[in-house]
Amino acid sequence: MWRITWRRFCRSKLALVALVYVGVVALVALSAPFLAASKSSPIPFGPNEIDVANRLHPPDTQHRLGTDELGRDVLARMIHGARVSLTVGLIATAMSALVGSFLGALAGFYGGAADWIVSRLIEIVLCFPFLFLVLAIVAFFGPSIWTIMLALAITNWTSEARYVRGEVMRLREMEFAHAARASGARDYRIIFRHLLPNALAPVLVSASFGVAYAIVTESALSFLGLGVPLPTATWGSILSSAKEFVEYAWWLIVFPGLAIFMTVAAFNIIGDRFRDALDPRSD
Amino acid sequence: MLTYVVRRLLYGVLTFFGITIAIFVLVHSVPGDPLSFYIGSHGMGSLSHAALDEIRHEHHLDLPIVQQYGWWLRGIVTLDFGTSFIDHRPVTGLIAEKLPNTFILNLVAFLVAALLGVPIGLWSATRSGRTSERASGVAFFLLYSLPSFWVALLLMDLFSVRFHVLPLFGMTSDNYLDLGLTSKLADRALHLILPVVTLAYAQMAIYARFSKSALTEVIRQDFITTARAKGATSAAVLWHHALRNALIPLITLLGLTLPYLVSGSVIVEEIFQWDGIGRLYFDAISQRDYPTVLALSVATAVATLLASLLADVLYAVADPRIRLEGK
Repeated sequence: MWRITWRRFCRSKLALVALVYVGVVALVALSAPFLAASKSSPIPFGPNEIDVANRLHPPDTQHRLGTDELGRDVLARMIHGARVSLTVGLIATAMSALVGSFLGALAGFYGGAADWIVSRLIEIVLCFPFLFLVLAIVAFFGPSIWTIMLALAITNWTSEARYVRGEVMRLREMEFAHAARASGARDYRIIFRHLLPNALAPVLVSASFGVAYAIVTESALSFLGLGVPLPTATWGSILSSAKEFVEYAWWLIVFPGLAIFMTVAAFNIIGDRFRDALDPRSD
Repeated sequence: MLTYVVRRLLYGVLTFFGITIAIFVLVHSVPGDPLSFYIGSHGMGSLSHAALDEIRHEHHLDLPIVQQYGWWLRGIVTLDFGTSFIDHRPVTGLIAEKLPNTFILNLVAFLVAALLGVPIGLWSATRSGRTSERASGVAFFLLYSLPSFWVALLLMDLFSVRFHVLPLFGMTSDNYLDLGLTSKLADRALHLILPVVTLAYAQMAIYARFSKSALTEVIRQDFITTARAKGATSAAVLWHHALRNALIPLITLLGLTLPYLVSGSVIVEEIFQWDGIGRLYFDAISQRDYPTVLALSVATAVATLLASLLADVLYAVADPRIRLEGK
């Protein structure tokens, strides 16, 4: 099944481009301490190297993407910002996928009261504007990368829960599930060993959209000044400082925004094409 | 139908309690004395122990936690959310003052997004398999992925800073009060354009995608094939049979859109200094004005709940499969 899905996924050139792009960003993020650290690295600036004499310097051969209001190299800050974006995106989504799959599996497998409670819980979470909840959690508990990831996970587990609930409901009536039960398997073994692996595909689709959501929301928080605390470089915080220099420094707006947009779009496209590839009706 | 609506309303009441409990638990798990929610942290330091105890008693904070929740809930039901720390006015009045500004902004954005997005989506569904359908699908996705705060900055840079055709931010010009009626309206309209565009483009993409998949779903069904087989022209099939069924799922967007709009308002109002609910919430968060934060969270969540109840009831009215259930 995975091989067929992969082949169908590859039919979309756009999806492959998105996948390669995400791979490149991940490599850049991983190698940030070697790429942009000091005089001897390929980009000869650290992310927090202040050089007030060269503040708001437009892009040239030395500062490829210009400098910010403290003379820090924008390219170096963006390379390090990729670490924050991807870390927050992946870990927050992993947390929400775990919580969502677990609750969704309980609801789908046991039905009845378990299903009722989980469904009400989803309904409650969906009633809140996600940004209200995220802002409240981050502001009340103090902005740090962990509270941000926690806030994103709390607002985003519902889609995974709904997918898994539906899948598990369908799967538990299938013959292999009955066979597992007949051979004496316990509930948790049936759920985690037999049903959940089969419900993995929709979770991955939803997780791909989840990463996009987490990255754009983290950037929005940084942009609003409630993100990962300074001086850590994030794409959103570069844009945030660009707010005050709209008139002089176009490069502070264009490049970090482009990075956020392309990464978010890439994860959205991957999720969308993966969903199409799983859908037998899409031919 | 009636049983369906009653059941839905009962769930709604339960969800209301769930919402209030969730907020209550969230607030009470914040580190620090809950008393600081009522008098602010500076008040905590400057008052004597006896005075603090008195305030604690006044706000029922000396009672067991369940009774505290009861008193708090009573405040919500009677629309008494306390007074703001910042300007010491009742929060309810503060919200009532800012609400119209947010409402106008979001209404215009919603109309623009729906009136553009739905027809585009329906149109692209009829082009199934052609290049224009694929291209529009990708375009919706790219549009949807654009971060709104970035788009806002780009629009400001382009239209306000470089070309000076639209105001940078605010709701009115400095000389607004000296203007005549028509110029006042024109001034307001000009100030609306950039915030509306920022709010509307992503929504438009969502409506387009949603209506496209709804129509595509309907077109695949048997009764459409039947209508074609009868010899109805494709225009008649589309207008008469497919469209009406495709528009029903759009009702569900009603309930889903509200929290999304409010979230969008926070960012847009903050950037364009639009004096509405979103900005009020953000300022309250930044200055730890807990009464305002609590009031707005409860109010928007309950508004969303009501909108989704309304959507469900409308859905039941529009869809005979639900309306006639049990008959």
